[in-house]
Amino acid sequence: MILRSAFFGVLILGAGAAFAHHSAPVFYKVDERITVSGTVTEFRFSNPHAILKFDVVAANGQKQQWTAETTSPSILRRRGWSQESFEPGDKVKLEGMPSQDGSYLMRITRAFREDGTEIGVPAGTNN
Amino acid sequence: MRASNVVSALIACAAGLTAVASVHAQAPQGHGIAGFWSMAPGPTPPRRAATPAEAELIGKFRDGAVLLADAGATEFPPGDYGGLNVRANLREAAKSYDPEKQTDVSLTCRPPGVIYSMQGPFPIEIFEGRDLIVIKLEYFDLVRIIFMNETKHPENWPHSQTGHSIGRWEGDTLVVDTASLMPGTLFNNGVDYTDNVHLLERFRLADANTLVVTQQFEDSGSFEGTAARIMSFRRGDDHVYPYDCDPTYGLAIDSRQGPKRE
Repeated sequence: MILRSAFFGVLILGAGAAFAHHSAPVFYKVDERITVSGTVTEFRFSNPHAILKFDVVAANGQKQQWTAETTSPSILRRRGWSQESFEPGDKVKLEGMPSQDGSYLMRITRAFREDGTEIGVPAGTNN
Repeated sequence: MRASNVVSALIACAAGLTAVASVHAQAPQGHGIAGFWSMAPGPTPPRRAATPAEAELIGKFRDGAVLLADAGATEFPPGDYGGLNVRANLREAAKSYDPEKQTDVSLTCRPPGVIYSMQGPFPIEIFEGRDLIVIKLEYFDLVRIIFMNETKHPENWPHSQTGHSIGRWEGDTLVVDTASLMPGTLFNNGVDYTDNVHLLERFRLADANTLVVTQQFEDSGSFEGTAARIMSFRRGDDHVYPYDCDPTYGLAIDSRQGPKRE
C-alpha cells in the first residue's frame, strides 16, 4: 500500500553535528528535523554517503520523488546497516534534516520500517 | 640426500627465515597504542572540560595556541575560523568558496589532508613496529607511515595528503612530526593551509582503552600563531573498513534540480 501522505514534523534541536568533507550544512538545515514516509525505489550503499530514493504520495495525490542521503556507510555498518537494509518496494519512515533549498532531498538521521522497527541503531548507541 | 628431501629442506629453511623476518618487522615495542580506535562520542575540549590526561597534553601546546572547537563531527560554518587569525587574503577568497563543488565527480573522492582527516569522526587503526608505526585511517583509506628510525625530514620529499612523518617516544607519549603536506583544508569551509604547514601530534593512553591525540600546527602563509585540536578515541575489537569511495555520489543527489517542498 502506498502511503498517502508526507508528514513533515519540524523540530528545533540543539547545536547540530555535521559530518565532514561533503559538508551537511551546505545542503541541509542541520538543526531541524522532518519525518517523511514513502516507498523505496533505489538504494546504494557506498561511501562517501549512501543514497536512498523513494516515492511519496502527497495529500493531493501527487507523487513526489525524494532522495535521502546518510552519513558514511562505513559508520552505518557498525550501527547495523548494510546494502540489504532497503529493497525497492519497502515502505519506510525516515527522520532527518530537510534540504536547505526546499527540494525533495533530506539527510537521514533515523530510519524505520512500516511496522515501526528501526533500521540499525541511532548514532551514539554503539559508537 | 634424495632430491625431494633437498627441496623439503630448502622450503623449511625459507619458511624459517620468513618467520624470523616477520617477527622482527612486526615486533611491538609495548607502548600499547596498537589496535582499533574509534572517536569517543560527544564534544571535545574546549567544548567541555578537559580530563586530567587531556589537560596534561593541552599543557604541551605552544604558548598562545588556539584550541579549535571543531574536533570530531562538528564543523565551523563559513567565515568562522574558531578564533584563528586567518590571513585576510584567504578570508576574502573564502567568500567565493563554493562547497557544492565537493560533490563534483572529480572531487568527491579526493581525500583531505591528515590535519583535517585525523580529527574527523572516523576510526583509525594503529600498527606498532620497531622502525615504523602505521596508522590506517578509515576515512578515504588514508595510510600514514611514521618513521621511528629517522630524525629529520628528507629534502625534496614529495608533498602529499599524508606528508612525511617522523616519530619518537617521550616517555609514554608518541610524538609525531609531519612535513611535506600538500595544501589542504583547515576547516572544510574554504580556507586551505599552504604546503609549508608543519604538524606536531601527540598520542598517549589515558587508560588501556582511551587514547588521547592532539595536533598542533603552524603555517604562517595561512594564519598567525599556532592552532591545536584534541581528540579522544576508544579502543574497539575491530578493524577499519575499506572506504572504497564512489565518485558518482554527487550525481545521485540530483533531486536538488527538481521541484520544491510546499
